[in-house]
Amino acid sequence: MKKKLVLLVTAALLAFPLLTSAAPVKIGFINSITGKEAQIGENLTNGVAMAIEDLKAKGIQVDLVKEDDGGDPKNALAAYEKLVTRDGVIGVVGPYTSGCANVVASRADQYKVPLLVPAAAKEEITMKGYKNVFRLNAPANVYSSVLMKAVAPYKPTTIAYVYAATDFGVSTVKTAQENALKMGLREVANEKYQQGQPDYRASLAKVKAANPDLVFLVSYDADAILLMRQAREIGLTPKAFLGAGAGYTTAQFARQTEISNLVISATQWTDDVNWPGAADFALRYKAKYAKDPSYHAACAYEAMRIMVITASTAKTALKLQAALKAGVWNGIMGPVKFADYGGFTNQNNHSMLVQQISGARYETVYPAQFSKKKLIYPFKR
Amino acid sequence: MLFLQALLSGILTGGVYALAGIGMSLVFGVMNISNFAHGDLMMLGMYLAYFAFTLLHIDPYLSLILIMPIAFLFGFMMEKVFISRVIDHPHQNQILLTVGLGLIMSNTALLAFTSDPKILTTSYSSSAFTIPGGIYLSVPLLISFLITCCITAMLSLFLLKTSTGMALRATSQNREAAQLMGINVAKMSAIAFGIGTALAATAGALIAPTYYIHPLAGHSFLLKAFTICVLGGLGSVAGAGVGGLIIGVVESMSSTYISSDWKDVVVFVLFLAVLLLRPQGLFGKKGGQS
Repeated sequence: MKKKLVLLVTAALLAFPLLTSAAPVKIGFINSITGKEAQIGENLTNGVAMAIEDLKAKGIQVDLVKEDDGGDPKNALAAYEKLVTRDGVIGVVGPYTSGCANVVASRADQYKVPLLVPAAAKEEITMKGYKNVFRLNAPANVYSSVLMKAVAPYKPTTIAYVYAATDFGVSTVKTAQENALKMGLREVANEKYQQGQPDYRASLAKVKAANPDLVFLVSYDADAILLMRQAREIGLTPKAFLGAGAGYTTAQFARQTEISNLVISATQWTDDVNWPGAADFALRYKAKYAKDPSYHAACAYEAMRIMVITASTAKTALKLQAALKAGVWNGIMGPVKFADYGGFTNQNNHSMLVQQISGARYETVYPAQFSKKKLIYPFKR
Repeated sequence: MLFLQALLSGILTGGVYALAGIGMSLVFGVMNISNFAHGDLMMLGMYLAYFAFTLLHIDPYLSLILIMPIAFLFGFMMEKVFISRVIDHPHQNQILLTVGLGLIMSNTALLAFTSDPKILTTSYSSSAFTIPGGIYLSVPLLISFLITCCITAMLSLFLLKTSTGMALRATSQNREAAQLMGINVAKMSAIAFGIGTALAATAGALIAPTYYIHPLAGHSFLLKAFTICVLGGLGSVAGAGVGGLIIGVVESMSSTYISSDWKDVVVFVLFLAVLLLRPQGLFGKKGGQS
């Protein structure tokens, strides 16, 4: 009996370190669950949920603490501070919008808890040399450069900008203007608008009067549909509509075939790209949520996967920072490495893709090594 | 050409703003209550039009025949159950109640319909008439504008010619005197709130084919409706009509000649100027009931 008891105690003692090593890693996730950006936020929520499921299936336990910023930078900062001070997370994924991510990034070095930004594009986020801020997606300048590279062979000469007065809109257009200058494109109209307005016809009429070859658009969500509907109404027909991500890359936009056909957009991810697991992720996502995943879902999935896998071995925020900095991954977003280059710190040099809508479907058309279809130019109704 | 395009687009959009403003102004005139749930009532109209179109396959404009009575009943009941309890209370209580009701409505819609914006796509959603000079008139906006004109004319006739309409106007001019004259002011309040709700829902349904439908979509129209009411004169139905058109045209003109980004600034500078020079609004009467 005594022997049995000793054996039992020894077994328990031996098992104890194993139990502690299997303790779930605590990670925070800040997202726009409510507010104006809630629709895209839902994509991020779904992507993260799938990542957690996949990790659990592999035996990696996660204690995920979710926070909603409602698209407001104040709330995002409060959420980050709560996560690192009260909840004791060792890493945070999020927030979604550029405005929120930029504010939270400015505090990450103060608390020394790594922040992995999955889909916010404002360049500044990874340009200030913050050691604890990492970004998976390509920054705003790549949106415009990849779009312009895709249409460059057709030799357009003029460009007009129509964009939302948000951090994402302004920073994307600023870099687009720099890229356009390099390409020798002449700017003929510049229309910044407040989101959620019912009438953009006056701005679009001005663009039409300027008769540009390219119309470069930056809009979130349903504004993209509104703008393109009103562009059709007033007969705006440039040689190409270039949509920089967000609202021009949603399944809902593509379904509006009357207005979406042949619109070209830049995206971080497509379901027909040849990165490992991308097609499978899209299939599983569609089966689970009965809708197509946007690039936000893929970004959030991969960001959470990288964060949890790295954190589960690092255990502390300090080691996590070093591990994120040193690591290399290859998943549904292609090769990922957080590097310092061109003024960026801890920025993944992600290859953006150009897609064109054809019959409610997004087809990758650029760069050639990732695409099966050819770009259709000029645009026709 | 740009000027005419901006003017016509502004007038057509202003028509829908006007309808939203008229509903709010009527409620304020009769009940002396600022209805901060007005935008959310517009949102309900948008969803009613959307579901009538997708589930019952009724054209959004035809669905007004269903939406108006449903919204009237909803508003009538809302007044009886909630609003009537605060009618003699200080303004802050009324504001808190209507803000609260609005929050309940928008968050219930968020739970029920999710945050996905719904897009109502009809065969004419992005079509336009071309008129000589290369000017395009949006078909859905033009239909909305004509319906707004019809509804405003019918409302004016109702207020001027029917006994209920006259009783509503009497209540609006002086609630106590109207009561002394034997008018059932409690009933008038419920009717006014019902009509206000029906007008808000109609404005929502009219804008649905050209806008997106979202639980928080009404919020951007609430501030506009409120500005229109104050600009036209709180309580003045004609003032709200004109105020709506002015806002629509000013927005469109400032987008064309200044920048789309500045149009709200121009609208609110105009709004402040009217408040400073004519505090009672364009059509308001000095020293109306307090």
